[in-house]
Amino acid sequence: MTKKGVKISLEKGLQNQIRDFFKKGLEKGVFDAVILPVRVPGKDSYAWILMNNAKLIDQANPVPPVMPVQGAKALKALTRKGNGIINVATIMRSCEIRAAIELSKLNQVNLEKITLVSYDCPGAVPMKGYNRIPEEMEKSFQNALAGKDFANDKMKEVCGICVDFANSPADLHFGFAGMENDGILFSNSDKGTAILDTLKMKCSEDDSQWKNSVNIIKEQKSKNRIEVYKSIQPEVEGLDNLQTTFAKCIGCHNCQSVCPICYCRQCYFDSSASKQTADYLQDKAKNRGGIGFPRDKIMFQVGRMAHMSLSCVSCGQCMDACPVDIPVAKIFSYVAAKTQDTFEYHAGTTADGAVPLKVYKQDELNKIHELIKNAEPQGSQHE
Amino acid sequence: MGKKNKSVLVVGAGIAGIQASLDLAEMGLNVHLVEESPTIGGRMPQLDKTFPTNDCSMCILSPKMSECARHPNITVHTMANIDSIEGDPGNFNCKIIEKAKFVDPDKCVACGLCEEKCPVKIDDEFDMKLRKRKAISRYFLQSIPSEYTIDQEHCLYLTKGVCKICEKVCEANAIKYDDVDKEIELNVGAVIMATGIDAFNPIGFGHFGYKRFKNVVTSLEYERMLSASGPLGGHVVRASDKKEPKSLAFIQCVGSRDDSIDKNYCSSACCMFAIKQSIISKEHIKDMDISIFNMDIRAFGKDFDKYYEKSKSTYDVQYIRSKVSDISELSNGNLRLKYVLENGEIRFKEFEMVVLSIGLEARKNMQDFAAKMDIKLNKYNFCRSDGFAPLQTSREGIYVCGGMNGPKDIPESVVAASGAVANSVKFLEVERQDIKEEGTNEKNVIGDRPRIGTFVCHCGINIAGVVDVKNVAEYAANLPNVEHSEDVMYACSQDFLDLIKDRIKEHDLNRVVVAACTPRTHEPLFRETIAEVGLNPYLFEMANIRDQCSWAHMNEPEKATEKSKDLVEMGVAKARDLSPLKRLPIDIGPGALVIGAGLSGMTAALAVAAAGQKVYIVEQEKKSGGNLRKIFFQPDGKDPQKLLQDTIKKIEEHENIHLFTNTVIDKIIGYVGNFNTSIQNLETKECTNISHGAVIVATGANEHKTKEYQYGKSTRVVTQVEFEQMLLNKDFPHGKFKNVVMIQCVGSREEGRMYCSRVCCTKAIKNGLELKKIRQNVNIFICHRDIRTYGFREQYYTDLRDKGSVFIRYSPENKPKVELLDSTDPDSKLNVSAFDPILDREIIIDADLVVLSTAIDALEENDILAKMLKVPLNADGMFLEAHVKLRPVDFATEGVFVCGLAHGPKDIDESIAQSKAAASRALTFLSKKAILAEGTITEVDISKCSGCAYCVDVCAYSALEIDPEKEVVVVNDALCKGCGACVASCRCGALDLRGFSNRQLHSVFDALELT
Repeated sequence: MTKKGVKISLEKGLQNQIRDFFKKGLEKGVFDAVILPVRVPGKDSYAWILMNNAKLIDQANPVPPVMPVQGAKALKALTRKGNGIINVATIMRSCEIRAAIELSKLNQVNLEKITLVSYDCPGAVPMKGYNRIPEEMEKSFQNALAGKDFANDKMKEVCGICVDFANSPADLHFGFAGMENDGILFSNSDKGTAILDTLKMKCSEDDSQWKNSVNIIKEQKSKNRIEVYKSIQPEVEGLDNLQTTFAKCIGCHNCQSVCPICYCRQCYFDSSASKQTADYLQDKAKNRGGIGFPRDKIMFQVGRMAHMSLSCVSCGQCMDACPVDIPVAKIFSYVAAKTQDTFEYHAGTTADGAVPLKVYKQDELNKIHELIKNAEPQGSQHE
Repeated sequence: MGKKNKSVLVVGAGIAGIQASLDLAEMGLNVHLVEESPTIGGRMPQLDKTFPTNDCSMCILSPKMSECARHPNITVHTMANIDSIEGDPGNFNCKIIEKAKFVDPDKCVACGLCEEKCPVKIDDEFDMKLRKRKAISRYFLQSIPSEYTIDQEHCLYLTKGVCKICEKVCEANAIKYDDVDKEIELNVGAVIMATGIDAFNPIGFGHFGYKRFKNVVTSLEYERMLSASGPLGGHVVRASDKKEPKSLAFIQCVGSRDDSIDKNYCSSACCMFAIKQSIISKEHIKDMDISIFNMDIRAFGKDFDKYYEKSKSTYDVQYIRSKVSDISELSNGNLRLKYVLENGEIRFKEFEMVVLSIGLEARKNMQDFAAKMDIKLNKYNFCRSDGFAPLQTSREGIYVCGGMNGPKDIPESVVAASGAVANSVKFLEVERQDIKEEGTNEKNVIGDRPRIGTFVCHCGINIAGVVDVKNVAEYAANLPNVEHSEDVMYACSQDFLDLIKDRIKEHDLNRVVVAACTPRTHEPLFRETIAEVGLNPYLFEMANIRDQCSWAHMNEPEKATEKSKDLVEMGVAKARDLSPLKRLPIDIGPGALVIGAGLSGMTAALAVAAAGQKVYIVEQEKKSGGNLRKIFFQPDGKDPQKLLQDTIKKIEEHENIHLFTNTVIDKIIGYVGNFNTSIQNLETKECTNISHGAVIVATGANEHKTKEYQYGKSTRVVTQVEFEQMLLNKDFPHGKFKNVVMIQCVGSREEGRMYCSRVCCTKAIKNGLELKKIRQNVNIFICHRDIRTYGFREQYYTDLRDKGSVFIRYSPENKPKVELLDSTDPDSKLNVSAFDPILDREIIIDADLVVLSTAIDALEENDILAKMLKVPLNADGMFLEAHVKLRPVDFATEGVFVCGLAHGPKDIDESIAQSKAAASRALTFLSKKAILAEGTITEVDISKCSGCAYCVDVCAYSALEIDPEKEVVVVNDALCKGCGACVASCRCGALDLRGFSNRQLHSVFDALELT
């Protein structure tokens, strides 16, 4: 089904177009404040800033090359204790929007007064690469953005296999993939439609050209995804492989602390409940012939998978944060695709529908049984 | 009426008798449960699975059996018969004869040694004679009571004076050859009869070859063959060559709906039974070809039609409309069925096996029994009861439930049982009971080093025959914190229980582990024992080395012993971490709120008020009466309007009942025993607040408004309800008429409403019969898909056919068509065209009137109410009970009950029975001043809770809520059942289950790993 959107010119560049949109929104009072990424004074990162004047918006970079803090975390920080009285708008990558949607289903983010805007995401540059040579990376990213390049190898690995780069339930979406000088701004919700109405932006542009381009890119990314999953599978299937892959883990738990979905106040593996007495550990070492430290490397990863893989949006923050370069994001993306397929759930892509384990369906157990029986290399069945 | 009595007699311990006993006992009454066989349980233990959920029958029944046997207010008399009932309601003197068992139940520990050695083999009735048992035996493995009995007729010693082997081998000295029958006199206030039902014996049906052809079996025999615990271990093979049958025919109505053998009634359960057996068979043998030969498929119960459709779509079961006229056996053992199709065509088909779906009939000797008890029977020898008093016998103070007064399935039997209890209450003294305070002189063990005692049970040879029990006890002695360990012959014998107490004192033990049988039956006993010497009952742990070791690994004694050691070690590990738990009392306030003042609501209200409780009925209409206001006839000649007026009068006159009409519910807050509801009068806008202990939902349902068949376009198309009004007034707007066409299943059993509306077949026939009374010469045509006149309703179907009415079967793909002769004139006559499978061609009826049997629709408002009460609805918008078989009027959320059409389509008698059942279930709470919460319930560590509410959605009992201020979850101790689902769902580690804490479970796993 085709949809109509607002035709937007990209002559001045996407960043400016988005800035204008937010300024206009503030001016007309459709929202009272915005949260946008602003480059830090050291020029080697970005930070989310809540702002309400047009001058500050000029300093913001709505589509930043990096994702130092997952946007959903910023929204959680703002709304965990409920909404204020003002309406706030933000623009984020698809994975950030999807994480925010998941968190809202889990009572961690309140989206009632938040307007979510998204765009066709060319990917994000890994933080580690960026902060060594920020200017160079800045340039590559802006080129990718301007050149509508969705297969740029400077981006995070999981961005290369992201099939949802243009798919989220954001209220409004800036689309430009495969379009020449124009883009299209369309609404996905009543809230979005109301905003376009108030701003008197006319939806006259057909989205079919954009949609076709997105589908072509998606297809390619799907193929890459199957390849990547195939390559990661031998590293993680079976306890032995898993242990080998995570052998170098230093137990810093960075992956957990940057993960937008890991919302526990305190991770069980950081709590005293997970700690054992020396007697116990010595006993265990005696029985096994030896035990490793730090403890619970695999338990931690498997525990995290069990807790968040149904809501994992494959944003890749975990891999960015890993100081020893374990391909955590690829592993979690692979596992998440499987668990989500089992429950016919696609984290964050729809605003309604409960997280799978909250609702009981009689045939789920059979499906899991089938999944175990048929365990063999395969990519996601989403696409 | 005599002085109110606190004792009551229940006759028959099938599921109905058990349910009635439990309800009465929970109301604080003393129950004597008399059962003819050596065990309670009745028919259910023989069943493999139950429809329509495929639950294992024994798995759902055995907790109820245990509860019944353990209940302090229930005395079970097995192998006992009632001999006489003298006196009046409120003061009956009953004589019970308890037959000699020849085994002392106080000594027998059911170790099974005697059975193993007994030389006499006899047919096992429980397994439909497909297996042998011994002259000393127990009825089935999970029998309750579990003690053995000697079959007097077959025991060699008792018949010929030789043998006595069992006495020699019995280590418990339990054999008592000189046992004699005992006579027991009881004084009771009321009697509930639940003597059950028998299965039809098809031996007289020569043409089906039962007992002549090896591969023809009855449905009950087939059920035992399907059962995993049955004689074939669940691997179905046919008798002739022990091969898996690849094709199977079910023949329905064997002994049902058959006037030639004086059984002109429908056995009600066999269609579903056959569908269930087909589905289970297909799960066992995937490529099996199954055909069910039937006259009609009567899947009229809640969610039954979905099950029926599933058998066709998922399991490819074939349904053939035909009566089989003959079966012949071929040389390879296969069976050749001869049958006639509806159009008269004769067909033959070969099957490898045939199952006769045998009907249900009154128990043998019912006439003698009825004469003795002074109760009347109907013409089929079932106990006679009245359409408006479905649970009453002809003798006041004696009530009936279960299959005794007509064929019923399990939930209907359970409903009738609870309903009969509500009836009996008027002759019984139901007082608000206090709870006993627990643990007043308990020893404080918190902070003390664990001092564990372990006791390993031989259970005669039951465990010790496989497991080296002494070795296990020695092993346990060396485990850390074990201060004492010993092996004992019978852990559950009284001697041993005294020994445990001595050892606790002697060694200053503060934790006890018993390695024996299953905690399900024995844990309460041991807990009570340690509590007697001042230990908190939760400082006890059990290792099941019987079921999991000596039984599961009977051929590998060494491995079984090693596994026993592991299990004991795991038990000790958990015991080390056990802490005392308290069961907190929760006050239960009196009074009930009944939502809806139709027949169901009013009946429930009267039943609750009869026990001295206040009842508030809220009705949104201006008048009470609900759908009953639109019913003027009953096929049995009873007057529904008189029932309505009588009921309204009783409600108005009752001092404890407050009826609020024209009133809606604003808000319901609280939980069992502590509800608070605000209601508002629609006219005056006046608000009232009510405090009450229980809620009964009786909101009813609506007649479906159809757009099919020219309804609304033609004045000659009416619904059955509208037609009934015409019949009452004898006023037919179109004057003279000759042909009336009724169309069944309008809106029912199709997309969007995939259920049978249950009452419409009988209603159409009833209205047909009424019409025939007024206008003898009118032709009646009934277009239907199946005629579902279940139970004794079959008679009315026969009556209408005898009066010449024509029944035309249609399929949903080819519905009848109704056309106006003159499409511009809404009063014009109609043409109804339909395909008649008997004539094998399309027929056109020139109809003066078309009557539509429209579906029963759930109320739209159910949704709002369900949310307020935190109870679920099914896919059709009807209230969904806690368990479709055994808790048919309860919700998982305690203190809330459902009855009448709100639960699903049903007839007047069924609504009455169900509303009484709901009242009775509510009274099991309202008759208490307080209840004790479980000890093993969830606790929250609020410092860890993220308030994500995952657990809130997962909880089946609505026991969890998010505190809006603190944004963390809170547990309602009264509602938590300790299932642990929330703990499993909590990723933050904020929830823990007392008595099964994560820490305790980790210790258990570690113990297993470290060995």
